[in-house]
Amino acid sequence: MQWWCSASGKPWTWEPQFYPGVWLAMIVLIVAFGILARRGRALGESRLVFWSGWTAVGLVWQSLDWPLGPLAAGYLASAHALQFLTLALVAPPLILLATRKPLAAAVPTAGRGRAVAMFLTQPIIAGVLFNLVTIATHVPGVVDTLMPTQLGAFAIDLLWFSGGIVLWWPLVVPAPSRAWFGAPVRMLYLFFATLVHTGIAMVMLVREFPMYGIYELAPPWEVWTPIEDQHLAGGVMELAGAAVIFGIITVMFFRWTGGVAGDNAPKAPPRD
Amino acid sequence: MHPPRPLLLLGTVALILSACSAPAPRHGAALDPPVPRPSFTLTSTDGTPYDFARATRGRLTFLFFGYTNCPDICPVTVANVAAVLHKLPFEDQQRATFVFVTTDPARDTLPALRAWLDHFDKGFVGLRGDITQVDSLMGMLGIPPSIRGPATGPKGQYEVGHAAAVLVFTADNLAHVLYPFGTRQIDWAEDIPRLLKVRAR
Repeated sequence: MQWWCSASGKPWTWEPQFYPGVWLAMIVLIVAFGILARRGRALGESRLVFWSGWTAVGLVWQSLDWPLGPLAAGYLASAHALQFLTLALVAPPLILLATRKPLAAAVPTAGRGRAVAMFLTQPIIAGVLFNLVTIATHVPGVVDTLMPTQLGAFAIDLLWFSGGIVLWWPLVVPAPSRAWFGAPVRMLYLFFATLVHTGIAMVMLVREFPMYGIYELAPPWEVWTPIEDQHLAGGVMELAGAAVIFGIITVMFFRWTGGVAGDNAPKAPPRD
Repeated sequence: MHPPRPLLLLGTVALILSACSAPAPRHGAALDPPVPRPSFTLTSTDGTPYDFARATRGRLTFLFFGYTNCPDICPVTVANVAAVLHKLPFEDQQRATFVFVTTDPARDTLPALRAWLDHFDKGFVGLRGDITQVDSLMGMLGIPPSIRGPATGPKGQYEVGHAAAVLVFTADNLAHVLYPFGTRQIDWAEDIPRLLKVRAR
């Protein structure tokens, strides 16, 4: 039985496939998110944020399950890039946003747990970890070795999602709080922490020959060639990734300048 | 100051030797002894007899046995060679010939063969013959014969088991290397220029 989507080498078929491992993982995510998101609602989180979180859970599901999951695992680098964007850059911030209040409350206030939380959510550590995951999971030798096995493909998916949670935690979850991590630093953090993935996208865009053997030697996808697919993957990572990152940085910038302007704006004299 | 005479002599010898021998290909399986360019005649996609030895003598020639209904190996192999050939300088492209011999003459009619090859390169040669003729040719080259699988599809579709390797003949009319399935474009890109440097004997 095929538990997780992996590169099978068989010709692509539009006949739906069932992956029990994906369903089990989704049950775990749905239950965990459901509990935390309900607590978040009880703590005053808005309905929009709550439903955005559920949408993100749905996005995780559709990126892991048929058809995108198997397409990404063994046929199209562009589908793999879309999966990376969803699992690492789009779903984690939305999931964290809907659960940030209960998550912040769950951060230990003392002891070893506190020390671990402080270390993992330290922005420099988080940024380095995310970039290490991004680099390691895009090295051709690693991808070509891991993707044909179910465990390897699962590991890559899990690393992307976990890496995304680590990357976004310092920006979204208010605990552990750091006085120095204000809006300008947050913008710089997001910019620099996602530079590596932009670099990988550039390499994919300019390479003359396909980088990944699993996509190059996969049964052909009629619509485009492996190198066109790789360029599309690079484009997806570059453009869609930039849209997410710079979209969020822009929102952060206007919120910050709005806040600063509001704070510095001359106040009207009190009326008698 | 002039270099010592023995050193000069050694340098000259090295220069002559390097000009004579082409760099060895880095990928594929070496054939020892090399396979001589075979002599056979099959029907090409324009309906005329194609004398392989005469038409390709002295040219870099890729010989591949496959079938157009192949779902994976054949299209990937042909596409990879085509992608790399297209990136070569024009003069080098003109020195190479890709010959595809069908192992499924029952379904691969000449127009079907032509239409399929045209997806990759309009200059690729498609050849068709009697299956016993093709099998004996493959045997002559040390390639196992094709095997027609059982009908599995609703319309009686079947697959054909066949060797998934490309035999490459160089200008010396020998095949020194056999490239198995799994040869990447980057591997072809590294080896084709080396294979083009092999001189005629």
